[in-house]
Amino acid sequence: MSEASLYFLQQLINGLTIGSTYALIAIGYTMVYGIIGMINFAHGEIYMIGSYISFIVIAGLLGMGMVALPVILVIALVIAVFTASTYGWAVERVAYRPLRGSNRLIPLISAIGMSIFLQNYVVLAQGSRDVALAPQISGSWTFGDPQLFEVSLSYMQLLIWVVTVVCMTALTLFISRSRMGRACRACSEDQGMTNLLGIDTNRTIAMTFVIGAALAAVAGLLLGLYYGVVNPFVGFIAGLKAFTAAVLGGIGSIPGAMLGGLILGVTEALTSAYFPSEYKDVVSFGLLILILLFRPSGLLGKPEVEKV
Amino acid sequence: MKQFSKTLLSIGTALAILGSAAAVQAETIKIALAGPSTGPVAQYGDMQKIGVMAAIDDINKAGGVNGMQLEGVIYDDACDPKQAVAVANKIVNDGITHVVGHLCSSSTEPAADVYEEEGVLMITAASTSPSITEKGHQLIFRTIGLDSLQGSMAADYIANTVKPKTLAIIHDKQQYGEGLAQTVKDGLEAKGISAVMFEGVTPGDKDFSALIAKLKKENVDFVYYGGYHPELGLILRQSAEKSFNAQFMGPEGIVNADLAKIAGDATEGVLATAPKSFDQNPENKARVEAITAKGEDPSGPFVFTAYAAVQVMSDAIKAVGDTDPAKLADYIRKNEFDTSIGKVTYDEKGDLTESTFLVYSLHKDGSKTPAAQ
Repeated sequence: MSEASLYFLQQLINGLTIGSTYALIAIGYTMVYGIIGMINFAHGEIYMIGSYISFIVIAGLLGMGMVALPVILVIALVIAVFTASTYGWAVERVAYRPLRGSNRLIPLISAIGMSIFLQNYVVLAQGSRDVALAPQISGSWTFGDPQLFEVSLSYMQLLIWVVTVVCMTALTLFISRSRMGRACRACSEDQGMTNLLGIDTNRTIAMTFVIGAALAAVAGLLLGLYYGVVNPFVGFIAGLKAFTAAVLGGIGSIPGAMLGGLILGVTEALTSAYFPSEYKDVVSFGLLILILLFRPSGLLGKPEVEKV
Repeated sequence: MKQFSKTLLSIGTALAILGSAAAVQAETIKIALAGPSTGPVAQYGDMQKIGVMAAIDDINKAGGVNGMQLEGVIYDDACDPKQAVAVANKIVNDGITHVVGHLCSSSTEPAADVYEEEGVLMITAASTSPSITEKGHQLIFRTIGLDSLQGSMAADYIANTVKPKTLAIIHDKQQYGEGLAQTVKDGLEAKGISAVMFEGVTPGDKDFSALIAKLKKENVDFVYYGGYHPELGLILRQSAEKSFNAQFMGPEGIVNADLAKIAGDATEGVLATAPKSFDQNPENKARVEAITAKGEDPSGPFVFTAYAAVQVMSDAIKAVGDTDPAKLADYIRKNEFDTSIGKVTYDEKGDLTESTFLVYSLHKDGSKTPAAQ
């Protein structure tokens, strides 16, 4: 392969990695929107909390002298997912459920309030400085011609891909096959009717918040390990990017969130690759505007049917 | 009742100050110390106070200035430009004609205008903004280098010592970082060295893999980064993971123990321009011990610049034999001073002719040592 194509391949690998994590966070936005038609602005903060919890658990276990990395990671994952899910559930319980049936703007504001509250709560509890974790999974495969350009795919990047694919497959199966998944789909079609048919809609809605939060915690753990730093403000930017990915793919559509995440990640990487990096956000958000101009409901979103 | 006793107390204090001032007026030279003793940056004000008080003690113990003792009077501007002007006017009204301060550039600038107009000699030990000395003032001096000097200093070091084959300049698109990156770029271009890349990253970003792949493709062996430690820390860490082994260099904004926490082993050998650590100077050993003996911390960046400000003033008074600010300013411009920050000479504007910055090599344990020249 020539130098140019090796370089392209490397940037594609970088882009797919960023895109996978955007997709994992975007799921939370899109699921909540799909079922109650509202954006959960506190979702980025749940991701940040997931990252903090996994850092604390990993540092704690390492400090206690534990050496088996896979065991540490599994324990961190379980605790982070459990804690973040609790926060996700609490956000729904505090900021959404009491406002069910009111004007759509009101839960939006309460979710923004929740986001600011969680961010500042972590600032107070953990301080506003970067918390760092030493690299846990290092090493990579390299290929290509060392004279021209060496492409590297790190084990961490591969782990991110694998975990993302596994989570996405599990979620798709859950939504399409399980009883609970069926209830979710029913809720998103017609909440009132679902309720009349004897399905506890409150519980189903709480469940979507919990699932979204669990996936955000997975992303929090993976990105925490990959970048090695976390601060109370990471949720804001990550949330913004994931929200963009969800809108790009078609908000409310789960495959759309995955596609949107990957497109956004790859666009960012390729823009930085061939233009000055300053243009990264200009190009990716320009793309978002273009796609929304021609497909207002996003790439895979269903056009909204006016209900009479 | 509480209010009343407070009032009584302040009246009492005021009387006491008046009384003592009247009693010793003949034998003392008053030096006003203006800076924040309250507010969010009060710890920097403390550094200045530690340095000034240590210098005054040492000079007084050695017999004072021309037979007179020095006396430090503390004024609090809370690093607030409005309060700084009020403090400046108060100093003028109190009849003090020698000021060490202020601390924050935003306070020093308006206060300096007052001093210049009212004929008060001012030496700031901490303000680095270039605009303070750009108005043609005659009575305003510093004992600290300008921020912008770091850029030209880095450019000199890169061109004369590092001599990289392929150079890239990255910045964080902020006033501080991009400004320094631009100064480095201009400085290098003047020496005929051009960078293959001059690009900005977004502060708060976490993923720099695309940027690193690009640097690797261009075979860059030296990167100057204008910005702060969080982004550079991640760039270093991700470079190590991608086995991109260029030499990195940055400004004072990256010199922080957190850099080593984020980047780990990749911090080893990173170059940075930073203010000299004067408390490490062998000549300052006795001064450091005296400050430590008082239970104070001698390591703050402004302790010895403040110490030097008092030295410059007292040496000038000794030589001129008068406390008239205009005569002192004239003397300070034309002569060399031997101070706690080394030999000091001034240019027409009142800035130091030599930079107080030094190129350091950073280490993975968070410490720094002077880099090979």
